[in-house]
Amino acid sequence: MKELPRDFDSREQLVEQVAGLSPWLDRRDVSPMIGGAAPAAERLRVMDPVAYGRTRNFLDGAVTCLSPYIRHGILTLDEVRNEALARSEQPARVEKLVQELAWRDYWQRVYARHPERIWNDVEPYKTGFSAADYATGLPADIAAGETGVGAIDQFIATLLRTGYLHNHCRMYLAAYVVHWRRIRWQAGARWFLHHLVDGDPASNNLSWQWVASTFANRPYIFNLDNLRKYASADINTSARDNAVLDASYEELSARLFPRLEVAA
Amino acid sequence: MSGLIWLHEDALRSDHPVFAAAGDGSPAFFVWDDAYLQAMDYGFKRLVFIYESLVELPVTILHGDQQTCLARLARQHGGSIYVPATPNQLLQNRIEHLQRDFDVVEVADTPFVELAREPDLGRFFRYWNKARKAAMSRGGGR
Repeated sequence: MKELPRDFDSREQLVEQVAGLSPWLDRRDVSPMIGGAAPAAERLRVMDPVAYGRTRNFLDGAVTCLSPYIRHGILTLDEVRNEALARSEQPARVEKLVQELAWRDYWQRVYARHPERIWNDVEPYKTGFSAADYATGLPADIAAGETGVGAIDQFIATLLRTGYLHNHCRMYLAAYVVHWRRIRWQAGARWFLHHLVDGDPASNNLSWQWVASTFANRPYIFNLDNLRKYASADINTSARDNAVLDASYEELSARLFPRLEVAA
Repeated sequence: MSGLIWLHEDALRSDHPVFAAAGDGSPAFFVWDDAYLQAMDYGFKRLVFIYESLVELPVTILHGDQQTCLARLARQHGGSIYVPATPNQLLQNRIEHLQRDFDVVEVADTPFVELAREPDLGRFFRYWNKARKAAMSRGGGR
């Protein structure tokens, strides 16, 4: 029971301390997101809940990056909500942000009431496949960000480098892993929890189940047109490098869920 | 009321209600537990984020096994162990083990919404339909 130091001259020194404490980890990259109450307060200060409501689905939209602070209890949902309401005379204009906070509250309630749902399918897949049709491990090319799908590899590189991803990127990546590669959501959820600074068993795993359709009425998929609509300029959305995404929803659905077509 | 505070990674904040529940001057501890962090399978970035959050808090950071450290501290200090409530199953297991030998008080965080009855959690929008009004009020309808 040894007491650990609390005073450091620099972030580098603190990082050295943590490196010494975690010899079992091989990657030593640090996130641009900094822990603590002061960085959290600064993120809260620059939050723009009205712009968030308008632009949050765009990869360069006015997202808050508050999730790591909420995940670790540095900020409460109550505090963020109260702050959002105080920023606009018209509550309706901040409702989208409040609703996203409510998603976190909802996932936490599910976790508390049904802890077994964190790693088990809540419902069967609604893809025409059963759980046994999905591979259990994460393929090496996905783990390394070398799938050959341009945008997907960029999202993976960002995840590995920063420990953070825009929510829409998380949905795209999860859909690619589960539906294009037919991997069980658990493998993807475990991978995200390892890398994401804000990874939370409830929000993360239950959202993977939402994409997979084991906690939703249908699977979530997207296509290149959708990606082009929301992507920032730095994302490679060329048809040549994203061929597997480049199709209509009808075509993709037939390709990814062939048994559903037969049933219909 | 007296005792000690066991702060864990789900509540890295100095104004969590656990501090008020334990009373002024109660010492607070965080246990940096290798086995726990490995079981959570956290990457390096997360460990740094947690440590950065810890050094700003009025807590003593101890390196060791959560259960062993807490049991020893509880014997030293006497009184109850105050801990932030959490759905985290690994922490819950440790809380339940400690409860066999000590008085462990779980303190809930400030709620997002106060609802008259437990909502249907089958789908988000069933919950949202019941929670929306309180969620859109300052203080969550408290």
